[in-house]
Amino acid sequence: MPEILIFSRLRSSYVEPLDSGQLRAVCLLNDTVAEAKVEVFVKPPDLEVVDLKASVIRSRERLEGPESELVSKLIGIRIGPGMKKIIKGMVGQGPVNRMLGAMVQEACNAVILSFTKDILRKAPKEKAGSVEFYSQMVKENIRLYNRCAAFAPGSALVKGIEPAT
Amino acid sequence: MLKFMRNKAIRVFEQDERHLKVVGLLSDDIYELELEVVMALPELKITSIEGRWRRWTTPECPRAIPVLQEAVGMEIGEGFSDLSDKPESIAKDLGRRSCRHFANLLVECCHAAKEAALIVGWKPLAKDLRGAEGPQPTEALKEEPGILRDSVARSPVALEVKRLQNPEGFVIDLHVHTSEKSPCSSVSLEELIIEAKRIGLDAFCLTDHNSMWDKESVERLSRRYDFVIIRGTEVTTDQGDVLVFGWEEEISGIMKLEELREQVESQGGFMIAAHPFRGFLTFDVSALGLTPEKAMERKIFGAVDAIEVLNSKVTQKENGFALDVAKRLGLPVTGGSDAHEAAELGIYATAFSQPIKTEKELVEALKEGEYTPVKFRKERTMEAQ
Repeated sequence: MPEILIFSRLRSSYVEPLDSGQLRAVCLLNDTVAEAKVEVFVKPPDLEVVDLKASVIRSRERLEGPESELVSKLIGIRIGPGMKKIIKGMVGQGPVNRMLGAMVQEACNAVILSFTKDILRKAPKEKAGSVEFYSQMVKENIRLYNRCAAFAPGSALVKGIEPAT
Repeated sequence: MLKFMRNKAIRVFEQDERHLKVVGLLSDDIYELELEVVMALPELKITSIEGRWRRWTTPECPRAIPVLQEAVGMEIGEGFSDLSDKPESIAKDLGRRSCRHFANLLVECCHAAKEAALIVGWKPLAKDLRGAEGPQPTEALKEEPGILRDSVARSPVALEVKRLQNPEGFVIDLHVHTSEKSPCSSVSLEELIIEAKRIGLDAFCLTDHNSMWDKESVERLSRRYDFVIIRGTEVTTDQGDVLVFGWEEEISGIMKLEELREQVESQGGFMIAAHPFRGFLTFDVSALGLTPEKAMERKIFGAVDAIEVLNSKVTQKENGFALDVAKRLGLPVTGGSDAHEAAELGIYATAFSQPIKTEKELVEALKEGEYTPVKFRKERTMEAQ
């Protein structure tokens, strides 16, 4: 039997530095049932969302209210811990609103990853140096401890790092 | 030139009459990974999952692959939609045990499977769209005690402020979460009271997320245990989390900071900016070039009465940054554990010059400014390395 696709999705998120010093983070979604674009304009160093644009080209359900309403609600928030809760709470409960909210999160996550990339550039390529680099990262920021399999107990990256109990 | 790019591609097809196969690829500047997930109809139950790394970061990232098998057995059917918390639950639970990027891709695969099932006219899904209650989440990804706990509190937390290291006076942990009101907490109010008495705290404040305990329940427990418990709440605003005391309103959704300020002021309450500089996993706010001068301009500092500068969920550096900003703004400073488990209670607290027994007395004392944040719980506090 031919493996005919039932559903296909492409989601692309990217971050572009602007001449103004701001960052433009974009999330594009194109799948079998929906097509949408979200642009988030972010001002460093506080990563404040200073503008936001959203457009829905295709969708199965309707957006509750105009896209501009969604835009205005999220202007002023900052990209950082707790932002998912804030975005989720502010975009509304309709299926398309939630879809756009998820796209805003993806765009904001791309901004965070863009800075993570800068940090990871400093990691040594050889294994021994690499272990030391990531181990030091956990020591300096214990939030990483047990945050994923790589930083869980038993990993070489957390060897000798004993959280108080 | 782009600073970062991430692409995700998902495709779904019918493996046979009873199974959907979902194939996902995530590729960005840092990572590249693939998932193949088979789901049985009609429940959309994961029967097999296979993950592959193409590019990764740490030498230990491959440890994430076997853990993905914990997703086998999970049903995403009727309980899984953009409107439920299930996707976030997967991302959080599997992300912590395995890898957040695999979890992100799995959530994407689950969404795609559900869309595909809708397209092929899966009947139980149609029922779901009419609002019928779906099955409860499976146990597969639920948290196991001792494994998934947030380990932030285990950080080296000795703040380089000598005057904060000698707790005296009436010591209150101003920032505590209970399992009854905060889903992220694993400790009940009664367990907290027992622990507080054991470690010698004088009192603690209930600051559950967007939720307040009823007065009668708290007073009853307070009498039973002969221990001071003070009600408050941690309100999620569009500008960050705020601890609020002396204010009682129903909270629905995310509050605008200005609206909260107006309401609290009208009731004579007190607001504290909670962990204002909580950073990211691999970098803190200073990596972004944020200076104290710039940080002072944040709207939140114009709306609060004090700043929390000792919080056990953030790093020593972030606490220090908060203290620096508070000093420059001339705002009072407080400490609180942000405890989500018993062993975290009292890691940090606030020492008041006089005993405090009620909410009213706490608000009065906070407004008077006779208090200092303290590092209280010695056995949980690691010295700076």
